Amino acid sequence: MSTAHSARLPDAAAPDRGERAAGARLRRGGLRFGRRLQLVGAAFVLPALLFFLAFKFGPMLWAMELSLSAYDMVSAPRFVGLENYAKLAEDPVFRASLINTFVYIAGSTALITLAGLALALAINTAVPGARHCMTAMFLTNLMPIIAVTLVWRFLLHPFGLVNQLLQPFGVGRVDWLTDENLAMPAIIAVTAWRFAPYFMVVFLAGLLAIPKDYYEAAEIDGAGVVRRFVHVTLPLLMPTLFFVVVVSALLASRIFLMPYIMTGGGPGDATRVLSMLIYETGFSYLKMGEAAAISVVLFAIMLVFTVLQMQIFMRSERAHLR
Amino acid sequence: MTAASRAPARRPRPAHLRSLRRWLGAALLAALTVLVVLPILWMVTTSFQAGEKMFQLTTEWIPTVWHPENYPNALSRAAFPTYFFNSGVVSVAVMAGNVVFCTLAGYGLAKFRFPGDRFMLLLILSTLMLPLEVTLVPTFLVVYNLGWVNTYQGIFGPLLVDAFGVFLMRQAILSVPSDYIEAARIDGASELRILWQVVAPQCRPALAVLAVLSFRDSWDQFLWPLTVVSQDEYRTFPLGLVKFGEYYGNPATEQMAIAVLATIPVFLLFAVLQRWVNRGFGLSGLK
Amino acid sequence: MTHTKMTTAAGASRREVVRGIGAAGLGLAAGAATARRARAQARGPVSLSFWTFENPQQRPWIHKRIRLFTERNPNVRVDFQYFPFGDLGQKLSVGFATGTAPDGFVSQDWFMPTWLSRNLLAPLDVRKLGYASGEAFAADFPPAFVEGATHNGQVYGYPLWFYGFCNYLNTRHFAEVGLDAERDWPKSWEELGEVARRLTVKEGDRFVRQGFKFAMHAAQWTMIQFNPIFHQCGGRWFDAQGRCTINSEAGVRAMTIRASIARQYGAEDPADTIATNPLPQMDWLRERCSMFFCHPIPPAAITSQNPRMEQERYYRPVQYPGVERGKGYSTTYGFNLVVNARAPREKQEVLHELYRFMMSDPADAWADAAPFPLARKSGWVDNPSVQRFPHVAEIIRARDEGVPLPRTTVYNELADQVHRGVQRILLNRADIKATLDGIAAAVDRATEAARRG
Repeated sequence: MSTAHSARLPDAAAPDRGERAAGARLRRGGLRFGRRLQLVGAAFVLPALLFFLAFKFGPMLWAMELSLSAYDMVSAPRFVGLENYAKLAEDPVFRASLINTFVYIAGSTALITLAGLALALAINTAVPGARHCMTAMFLTNLMPIIAVTLVWRFLLHPFGLVNQLLQPFGVGRVDWLTDENLAMPAIIAVTAWRFAPYFMVVFLAGLLAIPKDYYEAAEIDGAGVVRRFVHVTLPLLMPTLFFVVVVSALLASRIFLMPYIMTGGGPGDATRVLSMLIYETGFSYLKMGEAAAISVVLFAIMLVFTVLQMQIFMRSERAHLR
Repeated sequence: MTAASRAPARRPRPAHLRSLRRWLGAALLAALTVLVVLPILWMVTTSFQAGEKMFQLTTEWIPTVWHPENYPNALSRAAFPTYFFNSGVVSVAVMAGNVVFCTLAGYGLAKFRFPGDRFMLLLILSTLMLPLEVTLVPTFLVVYNLGWVNTYQGIFGPLLVDAFGVFLMRQAILSVPSDYIEAARIDGASELRILWQVVAPQCRPALAVLAVLSFRDSWDQFLWPLTVVSQDEYRTFPLGLVKFGEYYGNPATEQMAIAVLATIPVFLLFAVLQRWVNRGFGLSGLK
Repeated sequence: MTHTKMTTAAGASRREVVRGIGAAGLGLAAGAATARRARAQARGPVSLSFWTFENPQQRPWIHKRIRLFTERNPNVRVDFQYFPFGDLGQKLSVGFATGTAPDGFVSQDWFMPTWLSRNLLAPLDVRKLGYASGEAFAADFPPAFVEGATHNGQVYGYPLWFYGFCNYLNTRHFAEVGLDAERDWPKSWEELGEVARRLTVKEGDRFVRQGFKFAMHAAQWTMIQFNPIFHQCGGRWFDAQGRCTINSEAGVRAMTIRASIARQYGAEDPADTIATNPLPQMDWLRERCSMFFCHPIPPAAITSQNPRMEQERYYRPVQYPGVERGKGYSTTYGFNLVVNARAPREKQEVLHELYRFMMSDPADAWADAAPFPLARKSGWVDNPSVQRFPHVAEIIRARDEGVPLPRTTVYNELADQVHRGVQRILLNRADIKATLDGIAAAVDRATEAARRG
């Protein structure tokens, strides 16, 4: 699953007294009962944990080992130390892909966050039909990515719908996917189209959780729409905002299909991202060691966002325990 | 805040102006919504168009001649019924796996204290940085060593549990009052029974969200099946769809027909679970 | 890259007719005799796996031959799998890595060095394929095909289909602008540009019709279409030390020619081409472009897309233009039947029998997969059904005169780099020399890495 929702974060922040009381009772409940429950609890977690060991941590350790080897999948791997990383450092395609990945992460995160927030604010006006509009827009998030990319490839064609719609505004022919300066922005826009409505829902949950009397108080103070947004909405929405930024960044750092189908990484290397490069290097050029080294780099990028994600989590947990 | 700025804001607007603003807002939002869903409408209408319409400069929103035969034609091009069936098997398995294992783990992490519980949670959360795109090569080697290349379990195995799902269920189960669980335990109910009869029913919204999202994400999978499947009978629909345009007589309009068919199952699942999903997202307050 | 579709009913009667002709071919009578003997042999059950690429005509023909073989040899079972054209190489690599590679498969000829450099293929015994000797085998094919299948004097591939590209003309468009396709077809690259310019129809900045277009969508097509221009300019992909020399003077000249149709003559729209269809010949079939370089196009495929064009025959293939007028040639490329070196001895034997059986009726292959020409010379060209086939002489000439793709273990890297370079030059007006320098440097890095293993 690519995304979680933060709607639970406010819940988590709300202290659950029942659970704390249960914990207290447990501690009083004597060793044998406690030990048994400990085992039961651990047993519940065990299947998932085993799964993660087999399919996440195991492969990652393996990837790290592979990244220090030359391996063409046919002959046995041969230890080469940091050679793969040295090769990457001097490879312009890797450098371009690394920069593209950062641009893509930054661009799509910003656009997803802004668009998601804007849509949520629009829905939150509670004008007639707002709820149906939300449901309709959420559908873009349920459309299979493969369908999204195929549809948008046609829409962004030099004579496609997008240019047709822009024509009345005096915009001439725009080669969205073949101009090296426009291809990445175009893919970012399509990414935002697919994912922003999801975060719209997340933001909306955050907005709904803000008590109405805060707004009423601000209104009595004479605050206009903008001031109310800046002084009431935004501070209270901060945790949600932070969450959205981190999750969409995590999402963007692993994206593969959108550039793969829409531009094939081109024109030139203009939209090649690290996940594409891993696949290409490993399965097309049979350089599994080098592919593993790229994986480790991508892993390091994601680590940053994951640590941020955990900090949000820890903060909400602390609030929870307070 | 100064007194001067306070004064004008207090003046209430006339009721008819308010209502006008409301309807104007509604119209704007509706227009925005149409714009957002326009590509979906385009996909649907194009799937009923004649093949050569794709080369025209203008978009014909309502086909002058409808071509519903695009659908049977498209389905017969390749083994699309098989591909859809395979995608269905895999996605239902992933959905079931996530619902079961994430709920188990979420329950264990939310309602039990044992040594290392916090560490386990962080460990699970840390797998968010290890998507299949990163671990593609070694994961393939793991699946190969299990003898799962070209099997259903090979496709859905590595997708069976997701850290977000565990997190989601843990957070949901946290808000189930522990008193209920205690009461059931004192009544002598087994732990699994408690989970099934006391905890799960309280978490329906979260379970609905988990079901929809895990189904969607599995339905979306492309890179992994591409890597692990080398027999036609196990291909999933995205693999078929990507290669669809490569042969003669596969017009883009038929490609859109497959795209429409591929979209329907996710929409349907969402429609069925929508009541719960909205609550799961914390939108019960939405008017 | 892809091929073409033609619905063919493999008529048994026709097969019987042509079998007699096929049997007259070199060594085939002997082949048939051993086939009969093989059938009589009592043997334990053998389970083979066989992979090929997807193509609406060629794949069904191979499947049919395998089915016929297993009917005659009930002890043999064949697990038959096929993959999209562009995926086959990668699937085989993964298969070799994991020990799941098939016992026998169809290899694209440009992948032969990849397999051979890693000792993944078993040598073939040409006598068991029905040839009297190695010389007889070599004599049955144009030299380039055998060369690509040979390594250290050993034969590793049985060339199946090989073909060149032709320039497909829309003769009605020629007539429309006052040209006679029979006489005025472009014989040099300058003529191609001039003719394409005359054939182009524009509406503002939009091409209603491109006079000519190059494929832009896939590295393999870029290579096939560019390779002969480079050769005609006197270029070679690698020098004696193995360094990539695409940035030589010849390379710059060839790429300048490649770019001239768009840059100089304004007769194609690369951004439109790349964005429309994964099948680049579709625009030609739909008459959105007047000339296109393509592998043989089956008449049935033309009928399915543009019935009038086939009925009225207002098209024809001609040879590639040349740097020297009238001396143009294209790339010739194809497919070999090969055997996995790790397949057990017994399976290798059966695969030899299977391949001999598959090829024992070349006229049947033509009947089902025309106009894709077989690699071999014997057993089919004289067949009246071949001779009657429209433009068959041009198709066979393109096959025989073409130059092969570069045979290198870094083919994928090379092809990807050239493809991206062409994109930069055509779509983003990048400098030709600088781009070619970049390609050469990247390929050299790949070569160096491959050497270190």
